[in-house]
Amino acid sequence: MQSAMHSQYRLGIDAGGTFTDFVLAEKSGAVRLFKAPSTPQDGTIAIKNGLGQIAAALERPVEDIVRDCDLCINGTTVALNALIEMKGVKTGLLCTAGHEDSLEIRLGHKEEGHRYDPDYPSAPLIAPRHLRRGIPERVLADGSVRTPLDEQAVRDACAYFKTQGVESVAISFVWAVANPAHEQRAAAIVRELMPEAFVCLGSEVFPQVREYTRTSTTAVNAYLSPVMARYVARIDDLFRELGATRPVRYFQSNGGLATGAHMRERAVNAINSGPASAPQAGLFVAAPFGIEDIITVDMGGTSFDITLTRGGHTNLNRNIDFLRHRIGVPMIQVETLGAGGGSIAHVNDYGMLEVGPESAGAVPGPACYGKGGERPTVTDANLVLGYLEPDALLGGSIRLDLERARRAIATHVAIPLGLDVEQAALSVHAIVNSNMVNGIRRVSIERGYDPRDFALVCAGGAAGVHIAALAEEMGVTTVLVPRVASGLCAFGQTISHVKHNYLASLAMRLDERADPARIEAAFRRIEATGRANLLADGFTAADIEIRRSLEMRYVGQIHECTVEIGERELSAATLPAVIDAFHRRHEQLYTYSEPGSMVEIVNLESMVIGRIAAPATGAAALTGEDATRARTGSRVLRFADGSVDAPVYAAERLAPGNRFSGPAVLTDATTSVLVPAGWTLTLEASGTCRMTRC
Amino acid sequence: MTTKVDPITLAVVRGALETTQREMTVTLEKTSRSSVFNLAHDYSNAIFDHLPEMVLQGQDIPIHLGSLIPAMKAVAGWFGEDLHDGDVIYHNDPAHAGSHLLDCCMYYPVFHQGELVFWTVCKGHLTDIGGPVPAGYNPDAKEIYAEGLRIPPVKLWERGRRREDVINLLLTNMRARRDQEGDLNAQYGACRVGARNLVMLLDKYGVATVRAAIAELKDMADRHMRSLIASVPDGRYTGSATLEDAGHGLGEIEIRATVDIAGDRCHVTIDSPPQVPYFINSYAGNSLSGIYLGLMMFAQVPPPYNEGLYRCVTVDLGPPGTLCNAREPAPHCNCTTTPMETLTDAVRSAFEQACPAQVAASWGHASGINIAGVDPRTGEQYVTMVLASIIAGAGATRQMDGWHACGPLSCFGALSSGDIELLEYAYPILIHRYGLVTDSAGAGRHRGGSGTCWEIEPLGHTMTVASFGEGRQLATRGAAGAVNGLDEPKLGRLEITRGETREVHRRNVLVNVAPGERVANYNPGGGGYGPAWERPPAEVYADFRNGLVSRAGAALDYGVVIDADGRLDLEATRLRRTPAASPLTAPVAA
Repeated sequence: MQSAMHSQYRLGIDAGGTFTDFVLAEKSGAVRLFKAPSTPQDGTIAIKNGLGQIAAALERPVEDIVRDCDLCINGTTVALNALIEMKGVKTGLLCTAGHEDSLEIRLGHKEEGHRYDPDYPSAPLIAPRHLRRGIPERVLADGSVRTPLDEQAVRDACAYFKTQGVESVAISFVWAVANPAHEQRAAAIVRELMPEAFVCLGSEVFPQVREYTRTSTTAVNAYLSPVMARYVARIDDLFRELGATRPVRYFQSNGGLATGAHMRERAVNAINSGPASAPQAGLFVAAPFGIEDIITVDMGGTSFDITLTRGGHTNLNRNIDFLRHRIGVPMIQVETLGAGGGSIAHVNDYGMLEVGPESAGAVPGPACYGKGGERPTVTDANLVLGYLEPDALLGGSIRLDLERARRAIATHVAIPLGLDVEQAALSVHAIVNSNMVNGIRRVSIERGYDPRDFALVCAGGAAGVHIAALAEEMGVTTVLVPRVASGLCAFGQTISHVKHNYLASLAMRLDERADPARIEAAFRRIEATGRANLLADGFTAADIEIRRSLEMRYVGQIHECTVEIGERELSAATLPAVIDAFHRRHEQLYTYSEPGSMVEIVNLESMVIGRIAAPATGAAALTGEDATRARTGSRVLRFADGSVDAPVYAAERLAPGNRFSGPAVLTDATTSVLVPAGWTLTLEASGTCRMTRC
Repeated sequence: MTTKVDPITLAVVRGALETTQREMTVTLEKTSRSSVFNLAHDYSNAIFDHLPEMVLQGQDIPIHLGSLIPAMKAVAGWFGEDLHDGDVIYHNDPAHAGSHLLDCCMYYPVFHQGELVFWTVCKGHLTDIGGPVPAGYNPDAKEIYAEGLRIPPVKLWERGRRREDVINLLLTNMRARRDQEGDLNAQYGACRVGARNLVMLLDKYGVATVRAAIAELKDMADRHMRSLIASVPDGRYTGSATLEDAGHGLGEIEIRATVDIAGDRCHVTIDSPPQVPYFINSYAGNSLSGIYLGLMMFAQVPPPYNEGLYRCVTVDLGPPGTLCNAREPAPHCNCTTTPMETLTDAVRSAFEQACPAQVAASWGHASGINIAGVDPRTGEQYVTMVLASIIAGAGATRQMDGWHACGPLSCFGALSSGDIELLEYAYPILIHRYGLVTDSAGAGRHRGGSGTCWEIEPLGHTMTVASFGEGRQLATRGAAGAVNGLDEPKLGRLEITRGETREVHRRNVLVNVAPGERVANYNPGGGGYGPAWERPPAEVYADFRNGLVSRAGAALDYGVVIDADGRLDLEATRLRRTPAASPLTAPVAA
């Protein structure tokens, strides 16, 4: 599949909360975007509506288009929504007796930000205590059996679960990662006694050390998978009826695609899939410029999502709290801030101006929408500053009302702080920028990367008027604003590969007795499974790529540091280089290393990738640099150092090769891009606007 | 004094400080060696300015909240003008405002263009500090000299040069040297990460602008706290709390707090008896933490936290030589929980007099264990405080039930107990149980949080167990009329099972436990809020179904009747819930 996209089309369908985005990529590189209102009750209705639009636009029957697609890809928020609303299925948990409460104790910790808050509720529970049943059994760290499995206790638990209407059973025993026999036997009993129930095992869902993380990940998976299975069955049926030649692929939180058969069993792998395609899209956009190191920022109405990719490797998170549930499986690190266009500015108890995380959302929305919102938002501030066009029809429907924006800023920010309205708006704009910069630090500096080495890729309707200021603040000199900025994630899904992370736990001190052959064998074992799955799925050996990583630490440390080793084989000859790579990574992250200290390996992981050919990059002929023809007028822009009457350019009139310098604004139907003084914007042949610091 | 700072600079400086503190914390957690640091989060990172006043503390352990403030001043004062770029100072001594000897603190002066502008400070609980008892909690100590190594302010790096001789002197006196050395390096990394960020901030904005913003941030905190204090009617409010006899044989000890409110100022006076020859004396720095925590339980302010919050609060700890204002040579190692939590309770109850309804119930006190031995897997010595053994229940608030397993009071949810597999990997123990305890939660209209039980067995070796703390004789205090009917399961205790025999300890012990024997440590639950008999029967029944409340507990604590088949009997409940039968008027003996 790597060699070339062999059909006419590829179809991406990204179901968001409000709209379902459709991306139809043609073999030639042409990309079309369609939108249909989402239908959360039954996602297939929105999909049928969207397909109808596409068929009308192409003047071809839906069946013909689907048959001409090499892949149909679906990004869905079904699992995410079920977790947010706690509407998964009734789930029972079998665990080692004595450890029934780890899911509720949550390591005895209360999250930061709420230390003395009397109103902060405890976390939502996947399974209440009476549905968490302790089973007498015990395996030790070395895999030996200390207490045999009490099979009768498993049977009793099943009997109780049946009286309670349990539909899904998670099984997670202590040290099952070292010896899964008890979990497997318990699962066989549950399947025999509860044949209708979904069953999943800790040793399969997240086979790594950390009982709480594994149990929580497994419980979340059990809670969501039956919901996902129902959804997947409907979508698969729909496309089968439409004559799709290959099964629909679903998008996962690790940035890769998977089949419905996989998603039915592993809904936990899809809980944050929405923003996880940004890196792939960003790489595609950056490729014509030879750039591989990118930070993507996606700013919508309520949030600001950030990812980082270095040398083709995207930061992953493992073992994090997601919606207050501990999740172990690797997910693209998406740093999400409550900093969108709708984020509300307010003066806090201390008299300090803050922006977000509270958002006016779509309803009532920013004050300038005139839909009942009274409180000032980031969008209102940007309108007051001239960065957005007053009276513009946003997305063709909402007229931005400058007077309402000024009134909201005056009442809630300017008057309480004794500022004039413009100063207040500048403050709101600058503070949200400062929050974003601190967010970008979390994916860059906190992970040992210098943001100045990266290009910023801009996505989402609201990012364009902030992006250059963020770049300026961080010393970034290249900003890319893709043509499909407002649908970048949906597009990213259509150019993603199939990706699965295979994990194994293997503890070994890297001293003179270290046995690299054992590590190599463990890698090969998990990779053999991965390869076999991809071959069965129609990939050829040449399409398959392996990326290995090791989780390593100094003996005595508890937290590991992930060291990427590509496809390198482990042997006595290569081991010293791996150890060196660890020391370097430790120093990069934490300012020091301990070259004399013993190093150990704890876990290993292979990302097995089935490469799928991307559509071609569009390339238009370049005309001259002169952008005068695209100039539509001028507007007063306000900056910290004064106001300036600056030219306004219309994106649809800009021709490839055109270039202009700031201060200026570029506008199109869905977004505006602010080009400050000192920056130059060029429309490149690929359709991307490139901004550079002069 | 300060120019008015624009909101942008203010927000940028605030964001930079918070990001810096966060990055210090990440560095410390990820690189440290001991489970107390890397799993349990028993540390705090702070940033001080040149004065030196605290400009930001993370939402770390409240035990460290107040004590860092005088400790920083003591350390800076000790060196006076003798501070240079590249110096790194270490300190633990309570006589210089440290908390207890195990809390070793690193102070890193941050210079910008030759001028001292900031300090990055990293305080954490080392697993050992020498002395006769592993992990430092020596119940037999009559003097501080018998508890461990005292470190007065001392330079570990001088003008950038690592003083191997001094570091070696310290580490030579500690058990499990490799862990202690790794943790010291981790503290150094955290301080350096912090310094690096702050220098970038100063490069960008200049010292004058940054200082003006910091002054404004402190003034804002000051104004906010003053507005909260001013909302309390002027007057004198008193509270007291009882410290149980945890093994010293001197009987119960009363600690009293008086809170005087006058306008927007607050003065706290502590009255405690003379110091005792047992490890529960609290030196001034630690006592300040106890008072500030009591204040925060009243003020309930959101972050950020800086020294401006305490400008309107003055404190009199009582005469030197008393339990809460101890002086040399008072032994003190247990002080960060005992008597600190009782001191906090006294202050809390004084504020409860001032603002009935607003102040939440108290949290379970720490009753925990330290373990030590030789790991048969490696032949190496291990020693640690088991933070998982002190995870008590949180207090209920006016708004809601208390969180289970979130305490103790002195840590307020900032600790983490650590994953049981990682703990079994790090130490030669088998963890049989880590769970919630039935009927341990304080009764109330809003129930307290349940306490926990931590039960372990040493594998292949004999383990030394030292217990500490209290909360094993007196139940956690409720608020707004919450009273328990069934006290006993709400108390902490230590149970040791040797074959057929089971020892129950409600006082501190130092014992050996052999392979095959087990130690179970029970922690108290949090206090309830409001009369328990007003709790809706359906909520009591839900707790019953979940095994958090027993049939007997439902009846005695809540007046809720559940029949022999496990069904809720609303009619019998109505009859039982008469004023005469309420524990408020007729306490039921356990």
